[in-house]
Amino acid sequence: MTEKFDQEQFDQMAAEWRYIMTDMICRAGSGHLGGALSLVEIVMTLYYRVMRTDPKNPRWDERDRLVLSKGHAAPVLYLALAYQNFFPTSWLKTLNADGTKLPSHADARFVPGVDMTTGSLGQGLSCACGAAYAARMDGKKHRVFCIIGDGESNEGQNWEAAMFAGHHKLDNLVAITDYNKLQIDDFTEKLLTLEPLCDKWRSFGWEVFETDGHDWDAIYDTINAAIAVRGKPAMIIAHTIKAKGCCLVENKPESHNIKVPDQAAYDKFLNAMNTKATLPY
Amino acid sequence: MENTLHNKEMRFVYGETLNELIEQNPNVMCLEADLSKASGTNPTVSSKHPANFLNIGVAEANMISIGAGLASEGKIPFCASFTCFASRRVYDQITISVAYANMNVKIVGTAPGVTAGPNGGTHMCFQDLAIMRAMPNMTVLSPCDCYELRACLHWMAAHRGPVYMQLIRMKQPQVFDSTYRFAPCKAVHMRRGNDVTLVSTGYMTPFAMQAADELAKDGIAVDLLHCPSVKPFDAETLVASANRTGGVVTVENQNILGGLGGAVCEILSEQCPVPVKRLGVPDQFGEVATEAYLFEKHGFSVQHIKQACRDIAARRRK
Repeated sequence: MTEKFDQEQFDQMAAEWRYIMTDMICRAGSGHLGGALSLVEIVMTLYYRVMRTDPKNPRWDERDRLVLSKGHAAPVLYLALAYQNFFPTSWLKTLNADGTKLPSHADARFVPGVDMTTGSLGQGLSCACGAAYAARMDGKKHRVFCIIGDGESNEGQNWEAAMFAGHHKLDNLVAITDYNKLQIDDFTEKLLTLEPLCDKWRSFGWEVFETDGHDWDAIYDTINAAIAVRGKPAMIIAHTIKAKGCCLVENKPESHNIKVPDQAAYDKFLNAMNTKATLPY
Repeated sequence: MENTLHNKEMRFVYGETLNELIEQNPNVMCLEADLSKASGTNPTVSSKHPANFLNIGVAEANMISIGAGLASEGKIPFCASFTCFASRRVYDQITISVAYANMNVKIVGTAPGVTAGPNGGTHMCFQDLAIMRAMPNMTVLSPCDCYELRACLHWMAAHRGPVYMQLIRMKQPQVFDSTYRFAPCKAVHMRRGNDVTLVSTGYMTPFAMQAADELAKDGIAVDLLHCPSVKPFDAETLVASANRTGGVVTVENQNILGGLGGAVCEILSEQCPVPVKRLGVPDQFGEVATEAYLFEKHGFSVQHIKQACRDIAARRRK
């Protein structure tokens, strides 16, 4: 949490992040673009307006935690951490490169500021439950945030975690579903029905909110409302657009893991970005 | 420390030792997935340290990943279930949430191998040592009696990193006493001899001791190594013994593929190629049956161990 909110400035930064992220993934030759682009406003709001963190002391005991359970969206988390000075922005161009400190999926072993190693879908919410349970045992006041995917919600373990958090009334846990309506193979509702998604979470004992996942004020107000919930965990269903900002693949299944075999493909993706930006590396 | 532990069921020693550990370090936690009575922690731990006892429900995957989350906050969770559920059912959760992330989670697989008897083939897990051994960052233990169990648990709580341990639930013959100290990666020389090396772990060690003692009467001196730590494995002691005896027999309450026998063969083939006979279950599933029936069917009773030792002693590298 570092800056006062200025919508124009945030809009500009979000556009920059989208351009840089696309460049990072295109440089790597392939990567999970769509689900990272859909999370820009949410992750930016968490790190700039909500979460208490200390880049100089990434393991600060009182920091708020974020478990990015959809670990393939790591590039957006890495951007947030780089921009918050957890590590130099020069690292960003090394995404997925041999020997990198920034692996394809969120990695707490190498990346300062990443709170949980994720990548195998369905496990992060359970990990977040463990972290929230431990915090409550020790009387600690920090919050645990967890972002899961809509496709990821096919994994049964999420619902084991949902039952656990509801039963134990983990009100220091705020989860967010990046509901971009797409998974790898198809639209979520065509492949495996999630709806009624809000009712599902409510029935597991969660307080449920819905928000437009690209509207700054709506996200901010909803997260704060979720934090304020007492006696139960909170789930925010954030309606988002997969690959938002890259018109070539926006809202298309193929945005999940793009292939960029050559310079022509690289140019095509970068030219498809709604806004251009200067690269910080 | 009391010298009467061997009069107790192993699972109760597990519960009582967890209580000791919690009293020494309040970050130690006992996690269960609706088998807490079978693991010996309910009511032993649940009533004495309810705040450190967490029953997740019939959701082993959730238990392992919650364990990782607890560990990320400095807790030391011991997560128990039947071996089949504590290992193969949650292999990916252990791989990613625990081992890959290098979280300080302890996993306890109860009723290993043939000791799952009445629960039958679906619950009889013969592959946990092999699959856990194949996982980077993982330590794999199989203590043989109450004293060793207690020592292993104390070591696990002090050691920072993932550990998988087999827990025999029932009462076991006394092998050690309260002076026993567990050393990771150290085989325990149970009998010394120059005719054949016999390597055992966990549940099979008392049977291996019986076989070695009976063979001694027949004039065959067995060098018996008990290996509570299947990974890391004490290659040095094994190679020294094999160099002396010229032949090795392994016996385990597991599939002979990839577990103790596998570890021994990997080491010997590179460092000291000698004839080896692996005893255990020859790549088959379990079934509901008595232990005696299973030992006989799969060929790893005391009589089979003795015969294998005789055969290897006869064809060992001179």
